[in-house]
Amino acid sequence: MTERRLSRRTFLQLSGVSSAALALGVSAPEALAAAADVEVPDGVFGLGVASGDPASDGVVLWTRLAPQPLAPDGHGGMPARPVPVRYEVAADEGFRQIVRRGAAVASPELSHSVHPQVNGLEPGREYFYRFIVGRQMSPVGRTKTLPGAEQTAAGFRFATASCQAWYHGHFTAYRHLAAEELDAVFFLGDYIYEYGITAANLWRAGASVTPEHAVEIQTLEQFRLRYALFKSDPHLQAAHAAAPWMVTWDDHEVQNNYGADGSRYGVSPEHFVHLRAVAYRAFYENLPVSLAVLPAGPDSTVHRRFDAGGLARFHVLDTRQYRDRPPVDVDDQYADERTLLGPDQEAWLYVGLVESNATWNVIANGVTVAAITEDRTDQWDGYPANRARLLAAMRRSSNPVVLTGDIHKHVAAELKADFADPASPTVGVELICTSIASDGDGAPTDAYTPDWVRHPYVKLYDGRRGYVHVTLTPDEMTSHFKIVPWIEADADAPLETVATFVTPAGAPGLERLA
Amino acid sequence: MSGRHVPAVTGLRAEGQLGRITLDWTPAPWDFVVDHYAVYGAPDAADVAVDPSTLLTKTVYPRFVHRGLGGRGANWTYRVLTVDAAGARSRASAPLTASSQESVTATGAALAVVGEYDGTGLEFALSPGGYAQYPATFPDGVDFRHGTDNAGLAWSYLHPGPADAWAGRRPHVFRLRFDLAAAPAGQVWLALWLIDSHATIPGSAVLTVNGATVERLTFEGGATRGSTVGDSTLPGSPLRPSYVERPLPAGLLVAGENLLTVTKDDGSWIAYDAIGLFAR
Repeated sequence: MTERRLSRRTFLQLSGVSSAALALGVSAPEALAAAADVEVPDGVFGLGVASGDPASDGVVLWTRLAPQPLAPDGHGGMPARPVPVRYEVAADEGFRQIVRRGAAVASPELSHSVHPQVNGLEPGREYFYRFIVGRQMSPVGRTKTLPGAEQTAAGFRFATASCQAWYHGHFTAYRHLAAEELDAVFFLGDYIYEYGITAANLWRAGASVTPEHAVEIQTLEQFRLRYALFKSDPHLQAAHAAAPWMVTWDDHEVQNNYGADGSRYGVSPEHFVHLRAVAYRAFYENLPVSLAVLPAGPDSTVHRRFDAGGLARFHVLDTRQYRDRPPVDVDDQYADERTLLGPDQEAWLYVGLVESNATWNVIANGVTVAAITEDRTDQWDGYPANRARLLAAMRRSSNPVVLTGDIHKHVAAELKADFADPASPTVGVELICTSIASDGDGAPTDAYTPDWVRHPYVKLYDGRRGYVHVTLTPDEMTSHFKIVPWIEADADAPLETVATFVTPAGAPGLERLA
Repeated sequence: MSGRHVPAVTGLRAEGQLGRITLDWTPAPWDFVVDHYAVYGAPDAADVAVDPSTLLTKTVYPRFVHRGLGGRGANWTYRVLTVDAAGARSRASAPLTASSQESVTATGAALAVVGEYDGTGLEFALSPGGYAQYPATFPDGVDFRHGTDNAGLAWSYLHPGPADAWAGRRPHVFRLRFDLAAAPAGQVWLALWLIDSHATIPGSAVLTVNGATVERLTFEGGATRGSTVGDSTLPGSPLRPSYVERPLPAGLLVAGENLLTVTKDDGSWIAYDAIGLFAR
């Protein structure tokens, strides 16, 4: 080939579309992409493929081109120029029935990630997708659209996961999760951790990291590199390729226990927003989320809603970006105006809950709602007035269920109208998934167990790694709490189910089956 | 690169302090996505070459605190540039020169010192992460005799305060006993260096010398990492050292035994680098 490589300017002139639209990596003229000279290094799909934010007629596809995922500058070994990426969506795994083709531009501004929005698909059905760059073809991903409004879905199966401290152990739980036949995966926060990775916390047997991973991350290149390190795990890639994900964040996508512009580590609010800006940017770049999540400066809209026909409505919350600062004293903690969600998200959530026609109203959230101890102020325990408003709205909605992560333990709890009164009605249930890897092997019980199990409304506690598998039907919700006995030594541990609960529609509570 | 103009850093300014120089500049506007700012520096020079050997840090903040400059007044020249989300670099700022302040630890004569003014607390008891053993090891705080006791056994790396549940939510007294052949003739200075402190409630402590209350020492917020990390000099260290140096009123010290106490009766812990008195 004698042609010079396609420059950005040439590309834009040829395509006739705006720089902004192209730069977002969502869509590009397919013919141009196919014609372009796209010489790139081998192995561009080193970070795998993913899909997410499904609708009844579409889904977001994702990949990030990275022939050298751990290149220290965060650009994955890609040349600093835009690269066209084609994709295909098929009704069958063999790609005989391709139903959609398209293209997007992977640009260095977004670390060569693309987020094509595929529309025009049929509701409630399985699809397969793959990406093509030059002569390289990606692994095949499986995804699924949500049931349509007119459909009566017989059932909806999903898993919840959180807290994947790569350095604490193998992603064995994802190996098992990827083998489940799921309609969706909810990720509930702590996709990465910001801490330096050193001998002190690298418990994943057989793993080693280079010195640039040893420091707490702060720059965009460091956040990109951290996502790449975690995403290098084959089982995480397999889990992404197995089902569409709906993702929210918790604190470690930015900094431990932060809230809004407040750092717990002495960074002024004026400066902290600069950390938030790059952290939110890297979150968008590395996850299969829709364009609506792309941050503007230090702000990003992550709370969003998904309707699975008449069966379920999923409310994905942001429990970090808008929260009030930690309470200064007990009076402050119990102040009426105190908010975890922020006024706008609160209003959005309550309207969405109360006006929902779905049988199940599922709230995906970062931190524990159930009352545990007064000093757990990073959880909803630090925001009791907001919790009361949430519970009041839940009482006015159909079959509310809360999905939570954060604590690295499996916990199942009934949510009471008044936690101080054990005889008060159960409003809904909270299913807290343990971590994928954070805290290493863990054990069934630990030093925190008494804080939780002393409450009659806490029905399960287990401190090992795993995920929660949930099946929704028009009549009941079945939740299986799954664990793997070890993760530090290798990824070979088998899967066990430590508890199964049934929650009948119309009768909130947790009936333990096993 | 991306072909897009990367804005250069503007508003660069510097302030020299004890042991450090703080640079501030104006952040790029939000519609421009910054990966980081790269800060280049060279000591004792009028300019600095922008190359990997002079790169001091990459930071996402419009500020760089150049720490660990030691007790002698250090003279540095800096340039800062912007790296954007595509990896493109702006031109470097004009060079800016600044100096840190001199410490009495460099200019004075040591009368009694515990630890070394070197940016680490590793020489102290329980360092770098043994705070859980503090209540059993130091039930009555620290009582340290200079010239006899070993800092590795008898001076706790962390000095808790009443906000620390792990240390009983009460004040803690650290005592330094030292002998002088004669009362010092010149001015006597306290030099208390910390490798870190609690970020939000570093609090304060009461200083006494020979039974006289001298003053309340107020500490800077640190990074809340010094309870488990002992060396602020490592590249990328999360610690935020701070420094307290001040002259003491005349006539406090005597020939023979002297007693200095630091009573942490406010806020959370501080993590020691070194503590001592100097004459100058």
